[in-house]
Amino acid sequence: MRRGKDMGEDSTEVAAPRRAAGRPRVSESAHGSLAALLNLVRTGTATTRQELEHQSELGRAVVTDRLATLLRLGLIEEGELGPAIGGRAPRHVRFRPRMGMILAAVLDHSSLAVGVSDLSGRLLAEHHEAVELGAGPEPVLQRLATLFAWMLEEHGSEASIWGVGLAVPGAVEKPDGQRLFAPALKAFQNWDGFPFVEQLAALVDAPVWARSGVQTMTMGELKSGSGVGLTDMIFVKLGRSISAGVVSEGALHRGAQGAAGMIGYTFIEGGNLEAVAGSEVLEREARQAGESGRSPYLAEVLARAGEVAVTDAGHGAQLGDPFCIDLLGRCGRAVGEVLAPMANLLNPSLIVLGGNVAETGDILLAAVREAVYRQSHPVVTRDLRIVRSQMGGSAGLVGAAQVVTEALFDPRFLQGWITLGSPREHPEFKDFLARAALDISTRPAKPRPPGGTLA
Amino acid sequence: MAITGLGPHGERAVPANQVGLSDADADAARNRHFSVAVVLHTTMSDWAKEELAGIVATLGRYGAAVVEVIDCAFDIDRQISELQRLATEPVDAVVSIPIGSSRAAAAHRAIPAAGKKLLLLDNAPTGMLPGKDYVSVISTDNFGLGQIGAELLAPHVAEGGKIGVLAYGVDFFATHEREIAFRKWIAAHRPDLSLVRGKFADVSQAKAATAGLLQANPDLAGLFAVWDVPATGAVAAISETGKTIPVTTVDLGNDVAADLAGGGLIRGIAAQLPYDQGVAAGIATILGLLERQPPPWIALPGLSVTATNVVEAYQVVWRAPAPAALLRARKPRKNTP
Repeated sequence: MRRGKDMGEDSTEVAAPRRAAGRPRVSESAHGSLAALLNLVRTGTATTRQELEHQSELGRAVVTDRLATLLRLGLIEEGELGPAIGGRAPRHVRFRPRMGMILAAVLDHSSLAVGVSDLSGRLLAEHHEAVELGAGPEPVLQRLATLFAWMLEEHGSEASIWGVGLAVPGAVEKPDGQRLFAPALKAFQNWDGFPFVEQLAALVDAPVWARSGVQTMTMGELKSGSGVGLTDMIFVKLGRSISAGVVSEGALHRGAQGAAGMIGYTFIEGGNLEAVAGSEVLEREARQAGESGRSPYLAEVLARAGEVAVTDAGHGAQLGDPFCIDLLGRCGRAVGEVLAPMANLLNPSLIVLGGNVAETGDILLAAVREAVYRQSHPVVTRDLRIVRSQMGGSAGLVGAAQVVTEALFDPRFLQGWITLGSPREHPEFKDFLARAALDISTRPAKPRPPGGTLA
Repeated sequence: MAITGLGPHGERAVPANQVGLSDADADAARNRHFSVAVVLHTTMSDWAKEELAGIVATLGRYGAAVVEVIDCAFDIDRQISELQRLATEPVDAVVSIPIGSSRAAAAHRAIPAAGKKLLLLDNAPTGMLPGKDYVSVISTDNFGLGQIGAELLAPHVAEGGKIGVLAYGVDFFATHEREIAFRKWIAAHRPDLSLVRGKFADVSQAKAATAGLLQANPDLAGLFAVWDVPATGAVAAISETGKTIPVTTVDLGNDVAADLAGGGLIRGIAAQLPYDQGVAAGIATILGLLERQPPPWIALPGLSVTATNVVEAYQVVWRAPAPAALLRARKPRKNTP
């Protein structure tokens, strides 16, 4: 039996079947095989023709034809010769991560971060600044446009933007099916009804993928932080709000509505977790302790700076202030009590604590560990590590870029653009932009596009 | 002045004056006789000399020897090879100011990989993480310096004017932050002004870059240079055209201080306190060596300098009496009744 003739125009040769019985057949449509081969090269799974034939189970002629197409599209390039194993040395092919650029943005209640990465998801530059979100969405959009333009001028190549990863506080609605869509960003009270994602996509002329902040931080930690090489981990963001990201068997678990991980709402003794261990509560308690003189260290901070931040409680604890030690110990135990059932349920190999409360130091970490270990099954905690994130605000940016990489090269989405050479040409994105333009045209304010006048 | 910028990973700054050693830590450090190497982009500038003085004096106070000081002469290849060598030398910690970003990151990782502590001045190359790759970044609030540069320039530029930024065309966190902040301040407070940009990759090109900017924009009405040495080049280029274009910059170098005091083109300077930064770097180094985990981003506020306070600022920054030229040009303050 011969394999069905390939659909490529250049193909004249058809290879003998190589597929083992019972194994799934890779799609042999041009789009399907191009996408499959590109992803094998991109992930480094197969980098020579022989390896690609073996891994994809496509015939030699199909592989040759598809590689020629990918080379022509500029998505891959030929590399060095590999070692010869009885015959001609095979030539490696490799993905060209500079074909397109990815922009990443993380919005939080009081700060904003932007980054630029290549298509491998590796950050080339990042910038963080304080921001006042009370003024509404339009100044934020303006600021993103300005910073993106700056980043591209400094770090972008001639390549165009292929996608934007956006992280916002709070859950981001999950679409039905896989269509590109613009979720309503409900994180900020005065943003109701503002087409933020549509405007951002129109500004940069590239698709935007939005996720919750904690989900992008989780992806960042998995890609570049303590979670590298792991398949089961929990990331916990301890800040003003408390939420968790779950990676199970290598995939981010988003839940039915995209709202998985809202552990701050879990009720424990003293109220829900956010009301016991959120940074605002800790700061209030720390301030009161400073005012009353119960904590000599915090009283000194208050006198000097006029305010007390959660990091001050961390410094106080490190310097041995009894109130600060007690405060962060209580906070850590509360977090640990909520994490223990999750550990029992999911059996992760790693729990990473991030956010500004986690940065207070070892007292909190020790208390979390103690509570989780005490309440978990011995097998669950046998190899479980609980660590502090070392990525800080970079986790969200790395993760946002990673979300875009995964979306761009998701086989279903990839098949829609691969023969067109760029995801900006994807018909679904064109439709999205047309819909967005309609929506935006009903609004008078239009921010300046990146690449225009810098300001 | 408050610290307005965030750290390289979005950290909130811990002011340098809040980072200290307890008496017990100081004694512990003195008993261990640490050895430290310092790697600087240059040792020739006034900034570098003061920074080094602060580091050396502080480490000496806590029993640590500075066994080597390396001048990379702005050469990234030199820095890479020196870091690789230091990784094999018997030093406990390296204090370094990274030149560039991605290539610098790989070279700097050799230090923690060899079990030594790494402290960074001014700049954390993209991808390097505190705790894992380095102990702390010790820096002036570069975002704040850019804001000061804008605040000092704005009053000298008429409504609707065009101003320029003389930017550093090398991937360097500190100068990027200054430029971003300068632009942000102007956009927020003087939206009537338009902005153009000139770029130099090497300080020797600053004069030519300014000349090009002036040629392309004959109506230029103000300029911000991201530090003082290129600002001097910019002043020279502007002077050759015979125009009077106000300039602001960062760092209170001797030349720009004299120009500012003498009523030249320089109208304002956002000054760093390099000695104090060196002291903070020394303390953070000792804390790191004692496994005390100092904050990942330790910052110092900038100092706003105009013709009216240049003499006093000179004394604060350089811990020395101002030169005679500055004193002669000193504008007496008016006494308010």
